[in-house]
Amino acid sequence: MNAPRTLTAAAAMIALCAVPTARGAAQSPAAQAPPGKGVVVKGRAPVSNQILKVTLPRPQEADLPNGIHLMIIEDHRAPQVSMQLIVQGAGGFFDPADAPGLAAFTAAMMSEGTATRSSQQIAQELETMASNVSVGSSGSSEFAVVSVSSLAGNLDRTLDLAADILLNPSFPDAELARYKVRQKATLVQMRSMPQILAAERYGRAIYGDHPNSRVMPTVESIDKATRDALAAFHKARYVPDNAIVAIVGDITLAEARAKLEARLGSWKRGGAALPAVTDPAPIGPGKVYLVDRANSVQTSLVVGIPAINRTSPDYDVFSLLNAIIGGGPTGRLFLNLREEKGWTYGAYSGLTAPRFRGDWSAQTEIKGDVTDKAVGEILNEVKRTRTEPIPDKEFLDKKRSLVASFALSLETPAAILNNYVTSRRYKLPADYWDKYPERLMAITKEQVQAAAVKYLDPARLQIVAVGDGKRIGEGLRQFGAVEVYDLDGRIKTP
Amino acid sequence: MRRRLIRVLPLAGAGLLVAAGASLLAAPPPKVQFSDTRLKNGLRVIIAEDHAAPVFSIAVTYNVGSRNEREGRTGFAHLFEHMMFKGSPNVGSGEHFLLVFNNGGDMNGSTNKERTNYYERMPGNQLDLALFLESDRMRALDINKENLDNQIGTVSEERRQGVDNQPYGKTSEVLEGLAYKNAAYRHSVIGSIDDLRAATVDDVAGFFKMYYAPNNAVLAIVGDVKTAECLAKVRQYFEAIPRQPAPPAVDIAEPPQAAEQRQTIDDPLAKLSRIDIVYHIPPSMTPDADALSVAATILSGGRSARFYDAIVRQKQLSSNVFASAGESRGPGLFRVGGMANPGKAVADLEQAIYDEVERLKSGPIEAWEIEKARNSAMRGFVSGLTSSLSRAVMLSQLAVYYDDPGLINTRYERLSAITAADVQRVATQYFTPQNRTVVITNPKPAGPLPAPGAAKGGLR
Repeated sequence: MNAPRTLTAAAAMIALCAVPTARGAAQSPAAQAPPGKGVVVKGRAPVSNQILKVTLPRPQEADLPNGIHLMIIEDHRAPQVSMQLIVQGAGGFFDPADAPGLAAFTAAMMSEGTATRSSQQIAQELETMASNVSVGSSGSSEFAVVSVSSLAGNLDRTLDLAADILLNPSFPDAELARYKVRQKATLVQMRSMPQILAAERYGRAIYGDHPNSRVMPTVESIDKATRDALAAFHKARYVPDNAIVAIVGDITLAEARAKLEARLGSWKRGGAALPAVTDPAPIGPGKVYLVDRANSVQTSLVVGIPAINRTSPDYDVFSLLNAIIGGGPTGRLFLNLREEKGWTYGAYSGLTAPRFRGDWSAQTEIKGDVTDKAVGEILNEVKRTRTEPIPDKEFLDKKRSLVASFALSLETPAAILNNYVTSRRYKLPADYWDKYPERLMAITKEQVQAAAVKYLDPARLQIVAVGDGKRIGEGLRQFGAVEVYDLDGRIKTP
Repeated sequence: MRRRLIRVLPLAGAGLLVAAGASLLAAPPPKVQFSDTRLKNGLRVIIAEDHAAPVFSIAVTYNVGSRNEREGRTGFAHLFEHMMFKGSPNVGSGEHFLLVFNNGGDMNGSTNKERTNYYERMPGNQLDLALFLESDRMRALDINKENLDNQIGTVSEERRQGVDNQPYGKTSEVLEGLAYKNAAYRHSVIGSIDDLRAATVDDVAGFFKMYYAPNNAVLAIVGDVKTAECLAKVRQYFEAIPRQPAPPAVDIAEPPQAAEQRQTIDDPLAKLSRIDIVYHIPPSMTPDADALSVAATILSGGRSARFYDAIVRQKQLSSNVFASAGESRGPGLFRVGGMANPGKAVADLEQAIYDEVERLKSGPIEAWEIEKARNSAMRGFVSGLTSSLSRAVMLSQLAVYYDDPGLINTRYERLSAITAADVQRVATQYFTPQNRTVVITNPKPAGPLPAPGAAKGGLR
């Protein structure tokens, strides 16, 4: 058993914006080529060159005897406290293959009754205080999260309820039957939403049968869930061994620790190691998947490829590459597909890098009759990062934006704390976030281009479109053979 | 080290909270302190210092929303909001995005029926940049046909993404078109694609001149700034922008409804039947609207609420039934609705909703239900205190709506004062059959594609 350990509050001073600015570059018109044709740069705005030195708070940390790791950033600006109890190993990633959704059902049902409280008593006690305790475990997450928040004055009673929900759920049969009715209705509704259908097909395309492909449960898995199965999952998976408690709010470390020890002291270790994860199986060359949704007046488009895990040495470089292609309204996808073409309300890309090999994808909701052209533009933007050097100014601006945005997170301690939770989950070095700005600024554009060549092979990009097959199917054929699916996820015979 | 962001002042309503039940607050929440100045050109400037982080937020709220639109131009206020990013005398088209994000900031614009808001949240050293950006586009716009066509395309896709390509997307437009007779309120904010396509560069120029004047806007700055210095900079950037004649007042009259209105529509993208019911209610920030807001919490706030417990959990007619009293300076609507579970009749769901509404009028309201509404109003206030952006938006909006930014500190106290008798009185007065409009949306088996252009929005 580890001796309790407490780190004193520490802070690192880092410098933001210590790089040439847009204004500096604005004096030479040749250097100010914008990142896309949809933008006109006049370069007349007063941008501060002052180096902004910020103090990045560090969480105070402690280990509880039963294995819980406590991380807290005190925030006394307002009388409220929020807490996330992260139970690693209790997420949908660890659903049995024949019972997708078991982790999510377990999490949701934990608030539907305990040894001493009924579903209504729990809801009424919490909501009368305007407090929240909810347990969630999204489709393929590796962990479940017990989210707790309340006005500071109601924290003790809120934590009493949170502990009861966490430790003593009774999974009453009557409430489980009701929950199943709601889940089935929700499932029907989800299958009418284009973005969810796109996520489901994309998950299959990239991850195959790997647990990370899961987006929603099935009618069969809802039907066959039993009280015993939920109770068994809870008993085996809700253990404190690798749990992290992250707290932000009007409370001190000592207070938080005492409150948790009083309520969770009886939570016994499970003894097993954190379950291992495996990489998804390699997939073949790029394919085109069409989910035929009649009467669609727009196409939900996702174009993606297997990528890296969180501890890959290429993570920072890939993150920067992603920001250049599709990070927000200054990314190339947005400037091209929206600001230049006017084909969409937005177009973005994202890198998902968990413990196993994740993926990179671009996504947009695009005007139906330009679906094939939009796929072509996305492929072109990917190819450009492999073949064309990134203009100096765009590259510098992008790095600067990522580093300088650190200042905004100082207003939201929960965001900073989340960085440190990431550090803990992936065993990143202690000074990982202190060094982040200088690490990012040191990246060269050659490195970014090399990453694009290494990871974004256009021939291996998977294309998923949810839209009206009669209108968009033909145009998609230029990108390869098209596999067509119906709204229930079944392949249609060609 | 504990530090308070803002000075703590005694709270008038705190006694109520403690007296109401076992729930205790250690101390009354802090209040937002701010300065309130009007420039010579009529621009109202509100500044609240907060040095907890090297960050500030600036919000500009213009007193114009979809309620100011004229016939044939539905959706224009929102389309115009997009044009505010397409160029002004010293900022190129789309350059606004680059200047804000490349310097570590965050920004957006949003339009509703009542107002149009723009904000930037930035590192503390970029105050000049933010003031420059907002003042340059308050002074003049630099718009051409190509930019306008580009954003008509973008906004059409925004409409398709949020409305035409989603199940039940058009339900709310049908509902408001049926319930309201008032021309300012009966069309949607996003408007119709035909109306968007009809917009001209002249429309943009005329709308700008009439509504985007300093005397029709409120600027709020919250965060790591010094009030005197900040105000001096605001004067430097904004005070020379000329004032304009006040825009025409909006007609907010809504004739009383004499009988229930009802319509059934088919939706080829939906899979379950859905019911939406609205009741006409008075404008916000009136005693009745406050009581109706508490009624919404009692009916649908969380799993302990009456709709959830009776209709979702016990009768299992729906997986979610909502109720809300939205914010409106004009005629308001109290909205109720939900989707029928597979195999359940929407008529049964409708009856179950009415049963709960009747129970609210005549049955007892428990003390805990009132306490819950009080605490949730307080929680809403407290959770806004740590975000500079949330405070900047609220201060500017409350100044535009009610000429009283100080409501940021006192609004929750109004809700805390509502009693069970108040709730029963307004439920009895407003939740009547003749005051309601009902729209039922039924799934329709996928049929042939409608003719191009048939996917129309606003009902006029």
